[in-house]
Amino acid sequence: MRLTNSFDISASALTAQRLRMDVIASNVANAETTRAQLVNGEWVPYTRKLVVLEPKGQSSFADVLNGKMEGRAGEGVKVSRIYNDPAPYKQVYNPSHPDADENGYVQMPNVDILKEMADMISATRSYEANVTALNASKAMITKALEIGK
Amino acid sequence: MLNVNGNQFKLLERSLDAANLRQTVIANNIANADTPYFKRSDVQFEEVLRKAMDGSISKLEGRRTDPRHIHIGISGQEVKPAIVQDDSTVMNNNLNNVDIDMEMALLAKNQLRYNTIIQQVNHEITMSKIALEAR
Repeated sequence: MRLTNSFDISASALTAQRLRMDVIASNVANAETTRAQLVNGEWVPYTRKLVVLEPKGQSSFADVLNGKMEGRAGEGVKVSRIYNDPAPYKQVYNPSHPDADENGYVQMPNVDILKEMADMISATRSYEANVTALNASKAMITKALEIGK
Repeated sequence: MLNVNGNQFKLLERSLDAANLRQTVIANNIANADTPYFKRSDVQFEEVLRKAMDGSISKLEGRRTDPRHIHIGISGQEVKPAIVQDDSTVMNNNLNNVDIDMEMALLAKNQLRYNTIIQQVNHEITMSKIALEAR
């Protein structure tokens, strides 16, 4: 058991939450983007992105088995992938828009600003919780260095 | 009994190990607070130790004539921290059961416990030093 194991765990969570925050920022920034990519000569709006979190070091059966047998604590968290929200695009009536179809409807991204804001608060709080855990571990190790002084 | 190799000191060492392991486990719980299907873990040490010390665990103990023999019953030497997973509760819609407030409280508690043990260790060492200086 290494002394700084809990540092690595908290650090992995900080990385994951920061990536989550980056993805949320991208969603908010592209909330009105109607030309994200060209598919068969037609512009498709931006699709909302979501991160998938997964415990680290548990990707295979062998990893899980070894961890259980040696009585190891977990190894933290990681973002296993970023996927596109399958929700349909919003249809907005705006005939003067250059990307409007023949009926005057424009396909807008499936980003809901309110959801993104709620996710952002969640990511911020998780980040703060992990910073607190990291500081607690650091204080403990500093204290351990004082043994015998 | 003022001896850094004594039983008391060994007990403190083990308690420090347990607190350290618990810190890692709680850090992992907090790290996975948003992970779907994740179940929190905890470290059991103090309860096992108390049971072993007040004798509520059966006194029947297998005699071992070889270090590779399997322990029957629990002897004082065999009390070690164990990680247990809590599969029985659900906290979130994603089947995760990490209660972040509780984890933060446990984190603070564990930190205090750790600091207390460190003080105990320092106290032991100081006492040994005083004993060595007496002439």
